Amino acid sequence: MYKLGQYLPGVSPVHKRDARVKIIAVVAVSVITLHTKAVGLALVAVAMASVIWIARIPLVYVLRALKPVMPLSALLLLLHLLFTRGTPLLPFPVGLVSVTREGLYLGLLLVGKFLLLVIAASVLTMTTSPSELTMGIERLLRPFRFMGVSSHELAMMLSLTLRFVPILLEEATTIKEAQLARGAVFNSGGLRRRIQTISCLVMPLSTSVFRRCEELINAMEARGYQPGPRTYLQELTLSWGDYLVLITVLLVTAVIIWL
Amino acid sequence: MIRTEALVYRYGREQSPVLNAINLCIEEGEYVAIIGPNGCGKTTLIRHFNALLLPTAGEVWIDGLNTRDFRSVGEIRRRVGMIFQNPDNQIVGMTVEEDTAFGPGNLGLPSTEIRQRVDEALATVGLKEYATRPPHHLSGGQKQLLALAGVLAMHPKYIVLDEPTSSLDPITREHVLLMLKQLHRKGITIIQVTHNMEEAAIADRLIVMNQGTVVADGPPSRVLSNINQLKLLGLAPPRITELMYYLQRMGEDVRTDIFTVTDAVTEITTLTNRLRQQAVVRPGGEVCRYV
Repeated sequence: MYKLGQYLPGVSPVHKRDARVKIIAVVAVSVITLHTKAVGLALVAVAMASVIWIARIPLVYVLRALKPVMPLSALLLLLHLLFTRGTPLLPFPVGLVSVTREGLYLGLLLVGKFLLLVIAASVLTMTTSPSELTMGIERLLRPFRFMGVSSHELAMMLSLTLRFVPILLEEATTIKEAQLARGAVFNSGGLRRRIQTISCLVMPLSTSVFRRCEELINAMEARGYQPGPRTYLQELTLSWGDYLVLITVLLVTAVIIWL
Repeated sequence: MIRTEALVYRYGREQSPVLNAINLCIEEGEYVAIIGPNGCGKTTLIRHFNALLLPTAGEVWIDGLNTRDFRSVGEIRRRVGMIFQNPDNQIVGMTVEEDTAFGPGNLGLPSTEIRQRVDEALATVGLKEYATRPPHHLSGGQKQLLALAGVLAMHPKYIVLDEPTSSLDPITREHVLLMLKQLHRKGITIIQVTHNMEEAAIADRLIVMNQGTVVADGPPSRVLSNINQLKLLGLAPPRITELMYYLQRMGEDVRTDIFTVTDAVTEITTLTNRLRQQAVVRPGGEVCRYV
């Protein structure tokens, strides 16, 4: 089963970068993307393409990551085409509205920005293992302790979520099959009926989640877990390459925003 | 040494106690199996051994540390590792090695030390080549071995297991039991709750519980050969022991403290050899009884 933006293990320079650097880079790319117009966007696109090339991510995977956001992109484009005033693109109105040159430009720009954001996030998750990502987030949030943010607990929650998603998916399938075996119909009937059948899935699943939670808490306590600082198998360390990339990213971002 | 003094535990104020004045002493280096019918308090008892539950009355001491003392809870949990029935719900890491590192991480050890302990523990249970895999790719038995590795990385003195093999197939079960035997030989105290009498027979000491009390405590040879008491409690003794028991009741001179097929074969061949010799001495006489 392929999951969206799933981690693709590799040894490329992109894979080797520290998770913190990559997270900061994605944030920077997002800021730049939202800040610039067509020329800047083209530059960001070129930059992203080269990162994908360096990371040796097959293009198919990038396209697959974009597939689920296509309907939304189409809608964005359509809305801009229909509701932007300006120079008409066609000599005659389509239905009640006219398609304008400005509408097309704005629509394409927005869709481009949107897709670039999705690509940036996908490249991050494709080249960073979930554990590294969790560690990265944990380390980046450490300075916010004074605001009452417990980075260790957040990291624990994140990693438990990632750990239990496949288990719960499996369990949902089991329950669904059990219901089907007893004559439940999931894909037909009116909206009301469908909601009812879904509730037949949700109820047993939630009970099971609570049961699992209790056992999990016991197991964690038995292994000496207590909220607060703890240590990890792999501590993140920044190499020269990491610093270099970080400084470059920050400089470029600063320059673009200043201009 | 794990010691309980008049340990009483009840879930609610009005409810009758699940554990009723239990006095036990488990020495270092023992291999103890705890058996008993469902709801007899086995699981409740062992959860007192690492302060997951605190006694309603009485005391539990681990190497002289009281489980009520919140300052020693961390140390108690390091010394007493616990493994649960469902392997899925005790794995917290996103990869095999990270899960093994969870306990040492809770102890606040430096990452070089954690790395060393994780590698060592995974090598012991034979999961080294799975180190970087996500745990949900493992089989049930491998998950239970992973849970064991997670406990071993804490360098425990005692390992307490709650029906660790109940969801495993026979071959993986054998493997897990062999593992426990090996760990016991290395000097780790093993305390295992089980429903399986063959498993109970491996232990050096067998504790039988019923309705919150200890009703029998001793070597398996003595406890398991007391067929009548086991049957009264609704427990099934090993089939092979039962066979020897009925042979004995028929008047044959056989031992009933036998738990394995090989031992039974030896005992029965000795018996038949003896009968054959007697038959040579008195032809006809002995044989008649089997007609």
